[in-house]
Amino acid sequence: MSGAELRLGAVSYHPRVVTVWERFRTYFADHGVPTDYILYSNYERLVEAVLDGSVEIGWNTNTAFVRLDHEVGGQTRILGMRDVDLDWSTVLVTRKDGRLDAVEDLAGHVLALGSRDSGHAAILPLHYLAQEGLDAEARCELIRFDTDIGKHGDTGDSELHVVRAVAEGRADAGALSAAYFSAFRADGVPDVADLEVSWRSPPYYHCNFTVLETFDRELGERWSRVLLAMDYDDESLRPAMELEGVRTWHPGGRAGYESLRTAMQQQRLLS
Amino acid sequence: MSAGAPRPDHRLDAEHLELGGGLEVLLAAALERVPPGGVLEVRTPSRAVALELPGWARLAGHEVMGEVPEGDGTVLQVRRGRTVRVLAPPLPERESPPPLRAGGEHHTADLRGGAAPATADPAAGFAPLGAVPEARASGYRWRLSDPEAVWADDVGELVEQASAEQWDASREIPWGAARELDDTTERAVAQVMTFLAQNEYAALYVPARFLPQVNPSLAEVVLWLSSHVYDEARHIEVFTKRALAGGLRGYALASTELSLSTLLDEHDFTNASLLLNVLGEGTFLDLLRFIERHAPDPATAAAARLAHRDERRHVHFGVSHIRRAVAANPEIETALVAAVEARAAKLASLSGLSPVVIESLTVMSSQSLVPAELSEAAADVRSLMSTMERNRVRRLTACGFSSHTARYLSDLHSPNLM
Repeated sequence: MSGAELRLGAVSYHPRVVTVWERFRTYFADHGVPTDYILYSNYERLVEAVLDGSVEIGWNTNTAFVRLDHEVGGQTRILGMRDVDLDWSTVLVTRKDGRLDAVEDLAGHVLALGSRDSGHAAILPLHYLAQEGLDAEARCELIRFDTDIGKHGDTGDSELHVVRAVAEGRADAGALSAAYFSAFRADGVPDVADLEVSWRSPPYYHCNFTVLETFDRELGERWSRVLLAMDYDDESLRPAMELEGVRTWHPGGRAGYESLRTAMQQQRLLS
Repeated sequence: MSAGAPRPDHRLDAEHLELGGGLEVLLAAALERVPPGGVLEVRTPSRAVALELPGWARLAGHEVMGEVPEGDGTVLQVRRGRTVRVLAPPLPERESPPPLRAGGEHHTADLRGGAAPATADPAAGFAPLGAVPEARASGYRWRLSDPEAVWADDVGELVEQASAEQWDASREIPWGAARELDDTTERAVAQVMTFLAQNEYAALYVPARFLPQVNPSLAEVVLWLSSHVYDEARHIEVFTKRALAGGLRGYALASTELSLSTLLDEHDFTNASLLLNVLGEGTFLDLLRFIERHAPDPATAAAARLAHRDERRHVHFGVSHIRRAVAANPEIETALVAAVEARAAKLASLSGLSPVVIESLTVMSSQSLVPAELSEAAADVRSLMSTMERNRVRRLTACGFSSHTARYLSDLHSPNLM
């Protein structure tokens, strides 16, 4: 494999993905691990591509990683992840006048969730609420915004629907990632002005670069070193890194995916 | 804080500020006082703020290290990220600002003490004068980045004058006075004004073509060319209005068109400045003065007078720029001479000013076709031609050309007005 071009699969959840990977492709080539990218329209297709060897590296969401890892009985390795992927969390937001003191208070109320294949906006909120004693599927009225299915919540579209539903009073609380809520706040999305965070989940991992265990170990380590050396203070890299939402890359690990694995098993999302 | 918590570099009490309600501003200011990797301790009485702060911190490139309840609120430790927010050197310390003049006026010439900048980065973006530009791969490649290629010592003062001497072609001309002339005189005026407006188009298009090539950090030159373009826009306006004000029309002559088209062929800024500012607009000064003196009506006189005031600045810039450029690099004199020769060669078929223009100037001056009056006017027009020649040589000498070269260049220019 060494010397040949690696193939990396990613999902085209936004046109910026092309801008990002055109720059990263040049970067990897300049640093001795030429890596081409292949875009898929959804994460299920990407997981298949990693499994059938169409691509060696998958730039996976947490949900895609857990599914891929499950398919091969845990025989995967993680080559890296973003700083933001290390402490992802889900928040419940409420209107400022509709404050929630404990998750139990949500019983009998309306909870808005994002796309059903989104770890952060649907699968994990139900899981963590259950851990805290609230079976939301049984005791709350759920509104699901199943937009952009296949993108696993990457587009943020379903989460925008969630905050709007809460802001407009159609839901009493809404689940979305802390990252998207902060981004909506920073972007001045009017719907979040009168919302506040009433609950935050424990941290978990989000995206990662995954290879199968059979992938050349030395090459994988070399690729990781090059990835981790990407410098946000390099003016030629900053625009692409900003678009990817990363300031520093990290080696990552598997521990932060256990909650999602359990959740997907319990919700019968892993066959 | 717990015993294991790192010692904060700075502490902040958020009081009742919320994210989305100004807390971000306070946090950003406080983090400025913390070194990269250092810790800011934030106290908030709000549970919602405490829950939201980690998400904000990640988005902003920082990290919440820990949070503990304290009293009625929460204390969070925010570790400042190591990446720099703006990819640029730190902003300089406060320094003494540009001086003000009497009456508190802030003059363009005082922005950098009048001296030309030593260099301008050809890849710089639209960074205003004095700004510290953030590093970004930019697609810019400004063609006119060498300050010496475009500078004039008094360009700042000229910008100042241009702002102070703006005028209104709709309201500052006694337009009613343009309607009273007899047909013969009015026809002559309409022709002369049409000729002027035609020339002013070239005087606008030449600087307008250079304007977007100038490096933005040469702010004075950008402002200067913009004022030049706008001056010419107003000249086009006022002469077009005067041409139409009496109800008659003039010809847009092909010979004039040919002469003007060669001005647009020149792609070197300094060469173009010699052709347009010194030779063309310089010659125009004498023509406008003549029209003002011999105008048959106050509207024509006012239009010529106001345009003359602007053209004087443009000529001043040209002389000043070329004098500086030749002094800095005497070798460019050859290129300047060649530019005038090249234009003359393209205009070999032109023997001089169009008879239509000469006749119209004469009739405009005499305001009649009575032989005795025409004779006097014709003498005035001949006298104008020699005044133009004399002053052209004088301006060329002021640029730094020898009297011999000045004479030679003036002769080459003589078939043109602009």
